[in-house]
Amino acid sequence: MVDVVSNVTAVEMSVEAIKASQIGMKAIAAAIAISTTAFAAAWAEMAIGSAAVGATAENKDIFGLVLLLTVIPETIVIFGLVVALLLIF
Amino acid sequence: MLTPKQMSRLLIVASRDQLDPVIRELYRSHLFHIEDFVVDGREGYDGFSIGTPLPGANEVSAELVKVRTIENTFLIRASETEPTGKHRQAELRSTIEQELPAIERELTELNGRRSRLDAMVKDCEQKIAEILPFAEIPMDMEMYRGYAGLTVLAGYVSKEVNIPEPAEVYISSGKARRFIVAVFKNERRSDVDRVLLEANFKAVSIPVETGMPRARIDASNEQIAQAKAEIDQINRRLDEIRDRHREFLVACEEILKADIERAEAPLRFATIGQTFVAEGWVPKDRAASMKDALNGATGGRIFVTELTVGEHDPVPVEYDNPPFARPSQLLMDTYSRPKYNELDPTVMVSIVFPIFFGLILGDVGYGALLLVLCLGLRKFIKGEEGQQLIAVLRNASISSIFFGVIYSEFLGFPCPWPYILPSRHLNIGAHATGHGPNIPGLMMMAIWIGIVHITLGRTLSIVNHSRQDHGSHRIKTILANAGWILMIWGILFLIWSMIPMPYMPDLTGLPPVVMGLNVAALIGIAALVVGLICIARESALEIVELPTIFSHSLSYSRLVAVGLSSVAIAMVVNYIAIGMLIEPQLGNITPIGVLFIIMGVLVFLIGHVMNTVLGIIGGSLHSVRLHYVEFFTKFYKGGGIKYSPFGFKRRFTED
Repeated sequence: MVDVVSNVTAVEMSVEAIKASQIGMKAIAAAIAISTTAFAAAWAEMAIGSAAVGATAENKDIFGLVLLLTVIPETIVIFGLVVALLLIF
Repeated sequence: MLTPKQMSRLLIVASRDQLDPVIRELYRSHLFHIEDFVVDGREGYDGFSIGTPLPGANEVSAELVKVRTIENTFLIRASETEPTGKHRQAELRSTIEQELPAIERELTELNGRRSRLDAMVKDCEQKIAEILPFAEIPMDMEMYRGYAGLTVLAGYVSKEVNIPEPAEVYISSGKARRFIVAVFKNERRSDVDRVLLEANFKAVSIPVETGMPRARIDASNEQIAQAKAEIDQINRRLDEIRDRHREFLVACEEILKADIERAEAPLRFATIGQTFVAEGWVPKDRAASMKDALNGATGGRIFVTELTVGEHDPVPVEYDNPPFARPSQLLMDTYSRPKYNELDPTVMVSIVFPIFFGLILGDVGYGALLLVLCLGLRKFIKGEEGQQLIAVLRNASISSIFFGVIYSEFLGFPCPWPYILPSRHLNIGAHATGHGPNIPGLMMMAIWIGIVHITLGRTLSIVNHSRQDHGSHRIKTILANAGWILMIWGILFLIWSMIPMPYMPDLTGLPPVVMGLNVAALIGIAALVVGLICIARESALEIVELPTIFSHSLSYSRLVAVGLSSVAIAMVVNYIAIGMLIEPQLGNITPIGVLFIIMGVLVFLIGHVMNTVLGIIGGSLHSVRLHYVEFFTKFYKGGGIKYSPFGFKRRFTED
């Protein structure tokens, strides 16, 4: 009798633990989605940014254009953010 | 409105003695975009050569160089000078000849005096530096020289030094570097040199001076002070001259620049014998009045005719937009000016850009802050482009306030009225309750906007190609663009028929027709196949671009994502400032509590200022990007030549 009760409690507890860990897993997945994409965007912008600064030093008129070229990889992190938001909410 | 201004091509032929009145009239009207004549064997121009400048060009150039030299000395820029009134050109011309040489003379004299004084100050400083080490030794500077049997050495040693007697030695106190003067008999030179060498002796030359070193230094200092006072006086005088003649100088520059442009205009015309030919462009609605004006100016001794505009002619492009859309021309020019036979999307940009900005930064508080900032900066920012930028941001901020109202947001706080668009309110903080943000709803809204925007882009591409292309190529390109639209909507139909989604039509309930697929799915598949064939017929390589249908549509989710991050920052700032720092202290105010409250206020201010800046940058860059990358790539090429009519807008002078 005692065994059965303790088994039931253990099962209930493990179900709760699984639920909780699922939420945790989701949060971790969201974190991975946003952090890896943010890293990738930053890396891409690093290369473009340094070239852009060089180009602007040569010719100030192209500032507007290179600013845009620099933000193009931001799409990557935005996709990451979208995936993260969809995972959590 | 959706096309650039219509242009007419004018051909002007007259005898060379009419050059002056023709150029004057063209310059005055400020309408004629000259097409530079190049000797390249163009049909009909055999034997023509480039014209020669009008007489007097060299003298005017020399004058202009003078004016610009004076302006450079005074650091005067025409763009930074606000005109107080307009100078009459005739009066100005009569005064140039007297005033300019006078100003130049005075300037040269003052500058010469100033540089002489500067050189003197440098000399004195040098002299002081040379005498300074000897200052501690109370000996006349004359006593260091003029001995036949004695050697005098002066310099620095870095170690203790002991010069054997008989010698007269002075060593300054100090540890690392000491000044030493030694007087000894000539024949003992080698011994002394050895001792000094061991002590790392570095010789200094003994200045040829008279009198006590202290007195000499004081005298030099006095000279420096006098010179500096005089330099200050000269600088004040130069400032006075600058303030007095600033406007005169920029006005002179303006009329001389105009003179030169006029005098050198024949270099852009074709001439043969006693005749010159000028080709150029004027807005179509002004062509007739231009002809009349030229006829009037030359007394009819001129031939002006309108040429037909060929398809590949380099037609200059002037925008033709309603006033509300004009500031957005800045965004167009940053990308590229439209070509003459291309649709000009400025009006669409001027409407859609603020909407995107508002969707991203939809907050009454931030919108109002930006609006105040724009209205404040309007007075300080000069130049046409700066004003355009301010106007674009002003429109964007109004849109931001509007969307703030329908998002129900004020600096991250919910407003007392309900939201109309899907909620962006996050659950941040310990006591946060509520539904949280409606992410699927927001996401679908953004994707819908994307689909509509992209479809619009493709539709405009159909219009562009139907205007620009010919024959079978025209049909192919039109069909290819229609194919892209079919692909987008085909995919949508296919998705709707299989997966129910919020804010999208649910077509899963339709009865299956073939192989478990319903009517909607079949329509989708048919559209996909037809679309694919249309695209491949124009260029098979385009097939690799198919994934952009997804990536470009999803890219519009930035409207939500960037906005949500801005809301999140605002709410976190509010929670830290109010929820964590200010609110707990309000119940029982203690001295430390007051400190916390001040900190809370600071966090609130700094946080929101930073978030406003981030919001402006994020909001504008991302909306611009959606236009440039997702919208323009569908239909817009750009690369038009700017319409820059001969002559310029005068700011400081009038006839």
